[in-house]
Amino acid sequence: MAEHVILFTGPMGAGKTTAIQAVSEIAVVSTEANNSERHLVDKPTTTVALDYGEILLDGEEKIRLYGIPGQRRFDFMWAILKKRAQGMVLLVNNDAPDPIGEMLTYLDDFRELYDRGGVVVGVSRSDVSSEPSLAAYGDALAVAHPGKVVPVFTVDPRNNDHMRMVLLALVANIEMRALFGLTESRSI
Amino acid sequence: MDEEPTPGTTPRPTPMGWAQAAIAVNSVLQLSIPMLLKLELNDHEPLYIDFRHHAFAWSTPLTSFPADAVLLGLQTQPIELDAPLLFDLPGQDLDGLLWLIGTNSFSGARASWLASDDRYKLTRWPNLTQHIHSMRQMHMIAMLGNAYLSSSELAAMAGVEEPDAQRLINALSLMRILAQSTEVPAAVVAEQPVAKRESLFARLRAKLGR
Repeated sequence: MAEHVILFTGPMGAGKTTAIQAVSEIAVVSTEANNSERHLVDKPTTTVALDYGEILLDGEEKIRLYGIPGQRRFDFMWAILKKRAQGMVLLVNNDAPDPIGEMLTYLDDFRELYDRGGVVVGVSRSDVSSEPSLAAYGDALAVAHPGKVVPVFTVDPRNNDHMRMVLLALVANIEMRALFGLTESRSI
Repeated sequence: MDEEPTPGTTPRPTPMGWAQAAIAVNSVLQLSIPMLLKLELNDHEPLYIDFRHHAFAWSTPLTSFPADAVLLGLQTQPIELDAPLLFDLPGQDLDGLLWLIGTNSFSGARASWLASDDRYKLTRWPNLTQHIHSMRQMHMIAMLGNAYLSSSELAAMAGVEEPDAQRLINALSLMRILAQSTEVPAAVVAEQPVAKRESLFARLRAKLGR
């Protein structure tokens, strides 16, 4: 059975679980527990294990959507999942103290996945904080990853249209990177 | 031949479309100096752009963008960086307006500020969650994100008419998110395995695209 794996990553509270819920065609399997880092994110529950959703294509082909815990104490899971994944949706909160720094840190952590496939950055909560601008994200990416153009969009993780568009942009970008020989191509 | 105005009547203004607005906006953005721009359009309230804040104000929602509007007047005004605001901030993000002006001007011909032998590549993606776009446009944007392409190369690769590719290039250029070069050679396409079916993008588009 053909399958494609897309990861949803990002810091706590960026909306990974909500984003998967917005596009999954099955009831999302989410396990949450008490937030042990409430001093960082004031949220009563947070993802501590995998979130899992699916989009069914023709026949038995499916896209598997995995939400990865945001806390770094779970980074052993990142290593396992990023080997299976073709692409990643990285969500960051625009009202976090340093969202651009967080984005760059995650991109470094998942550089191998980016080199092999592709990444789209979704900036959530831009309605709460309009700064930094998307141009500022683009400028930071141009410095950190010269020559690579990572798609960055403002998103509302609850919005099905936004998250569908993010997935389509991710897949389109992965295919074009492979077309122009910019990735260690792996069939998607 | 131009019509002679009838004595005693006001000469009709020469109809202008979005191309004139695009040229004006592009020239202001190239100067990078603080400027206000007022566009007067038939059947619509004036449109104000404050380039200091990359924002605009207009009573017409962009979802009802009048592609065939007639531009009756256009005024620019240099302004101090700290001069009073023309409208309440944050206003609307200018990129959404530039996207629509760019795709609706020049009737699919090359924008007047672009050269005929250039190739283009994105410097950053447009914020597609905020712009009304087609799946074909997204596909072309992904191409331009990864290779320098001319409008004809882009059209051929995407399987669209060249005016459609040119409209997109005009818009991205107006938004100042395109690099352009006459020096870069044609992009080389990597050898691809023989496709047994449509791409995943095409299948996902069929599933999710609207």
